Amino acid sequence: MKNFKAVGSRLLQLALVLWAVVTILFLMFRLMPGNPMAAYIDPTFTLEQQQQLMAQFGLDKPLWHQYLIYLGNLLQGELGQSFRYREPVGQRIWILLPNTLILTFSSLIVAYVFGILAGAYLAWRRGSWVEQAAIPLVLTTRAMPEFWLGMVMLAIFSFSLGWLPAGGTRAPGNEYSGFLDLYTSRDFLAHLALPAATLAIYSQGLPLLLMRSNMLDVMKEDFVTMARIKGLSNWTVVVRHAARNALLPVMTSFAIAVGYQLQGNVVVESVFSWPGLGRELVNAVAASDYPLAQGAFLMIALVVIFMNLAADLLYAFLDPRISHA
Amino acid sequence: MSEPLLSVRDLRVSYQVGRNFVHAVDGASFDIPRGSITGLVGESGCGKTTVARALTRVIAENAAITGGQILFDGKDLAKIPEKEMNALRWRDIAFIPQSAMNSLDPVYTVEYQLDEVLRRRGGLGRKQSRARSEELFEMVGIDVNRLNDYPHQFSGGMRQRVAIALALALDPKLIIADEPVTALDVIVQRQILDQLKELQTRLGVSVILVTHDISVVAYICDRTVVMYAGKVAESGTMQAALTAPSHPYTMGLRNAFPDLQGAASGILTPIEGAPPNLASPPAGCRFKPRCPFALDICGTEPPVIDVAPDHPVLCHRANESAALRIEAAKTETWMAPA
Repeated sequence: MKNFKAVGSRLLQLALVLWAVVTILFLMFRLMPGNPMAAYIDPTFTLEQQQQLMAQFGLDKPLWHQYLIYLGNLLQGELGQSFRYREPVGQRIWILLPNTLILTFSSLIVAYVFGILAGAYLAWRRGSWVEQAAIPLVLTTRAMPEFWLGMVMLAIFSFSLGWLPAGGTRAPGNEYSGFLDLYTSRDFLAHLALPAATLAIYSQGLPLLLMRSNMLDVMKEDFVTMARIKGLSNWTVVVRHAARNALLPVMTSFAIAVGYQLQGNVVVESVFSWPGLGRELVNAVAASDYPLAQGAFLMIALVVIFMNLAADLLYAFLDPRISHA
Repeated sequence: MSEPLLSVRDLRVSYQVGRNFVHAVDGASFDIPRGSITGLVGESGCGKTTVARALTRVIAENAAITGGQILFDGKDLAKIPEKEMNALRWRDIAFIPQSAMNSLDPVYTVEYQLDEVLRRRGGLGRKQSRARSEELFEMVGIDVNRLNDYPHQFSGGMRQRVAIALALALDPKLIIADEPVTALDVIVQRQILDQLKELQTRLGVSVILVTHDISVVAYICDRTVVMYAGKVAESGTMQAALTAPSHPYTMGLRNAFPDLQGAASGILTPIEGAPPNLASPPAGCRFKPRCPFALDICGTEPPVIDVAPDHPVLCHRANESAALRIEAAKTETWMAPA
């Protein structure tokens, strides 16, 4: 019962945050300098034609009215028309979002699985030469900017060795009948490999270092010493007790990392011409395509908020001290 | 006296701190008879916890057993291979830690932690393990329904009972209790001690009770080992330690603690000063700087003198102990140490 109440209040908070994000987004784009219609209104258009066009997009109404229309539309899942593509923003995002999510999650899952295992291993082998060599290496990967790493990956695996394609999600001319068909094809996976690897290399440092330092702390805990005094096997002590407890903050960082990764995607998607939300966002802002940029921002904010909720719930699930508090 | 269950001979344990070695336990010898409850007392840093942990051979990373023997059931625990030692842990030697809060894993239920020991170490099946867990909870007086609770859901005293249940799980021959009641208030302390004593008598297990509190020892132990600065100052039966303490340190300790039974024994008299730094202990008797009875001869290594059968004392003046006891009972004696 208590749990339901906690989840309920969490959902209410979430709704509030969402409303704030939506409002800020609305104001942000209205405050930006320049007339967005400039790109679409030909100087030869008559004033009447211009006004007609403005009215068509609803830009002739006062700000508060625009805000209400905007909120009303959002509630119905209506994100407006893209200025540039002249098609519904929702439809555009629907095509791009899966690409971004697949890239984000595949790279993060690889990064976290690797980071958690390697971090636990390095903590266990504390003071060995393996650790001495690995820590500077990890710090180096953390320090490499992802656009640079992306270009190096392209230079090596695509341009020089020719093993993997350089950009996009599929080879030209290939057509697929549906989502599943595309995303499980060899073609798509080959295109995914480089950008995902770039993001994974960039992201593994955080979970690795976090896991390692947590492990080192937990290994000093009394319950780990007690597990040894109980004569439990080394594996049981390290994995079931030390790693299990060290994992808690790392899992939270995963959810938060998804949010960061979506920002990082803007760069990597551009480097690899990956048709995702990040690249579209950059293009939309550059082209003053307000509805599309707004929609893309909103989508990213939604994922971040949702992942934070997931982190909270996951933590409560993994740590009995939270769920019973 | 029959063959003791545990016989520690000249045990030495050192910690490496930087380039220095701290000899935390510097030649400790004592016996633990079967079915006894022995108090291992001394001030913080005297090496009592180090001795306790050395018996399980789970010691700090920078520590090592550098000498001596730990004879347990015909085996020298200081020498046997790690694998053999690990097989013996918990099945023969169990441990009750000071703070049960930190020594229970917070993410698992208490039942899981009992089950882990019963099944992984005891080789019990799922059903047997459950039955044994219930039996253990009944033994330590906790409602069986609470088996599925997590450690943080128990009070301090209850957690200590859980720790006792865990220690009893595999019917060990020896239980080492390291300051088991120090973190608890006096009322709960007494309940836990009573329970420990009752279970110890009923099950016939031997217990080593590590504590700084001589009144706790006086309350439930039938033997005592008094440690000072890494060495055993005096050991013997509780009766001997209470009626005829023969090391000046034991005499001082008795004046410094109130009686757990509530009998007001008058003014408490502290022992002035602090224990020596074990990285560079004083030559000769280590208690000399704080001892009101110190003579010039105390600057040399003191001998172990048996003042009575089963009552060794590490003191040059052990044979004069009857006279010293009279002096030691006076508060003035301790006000101006020699």
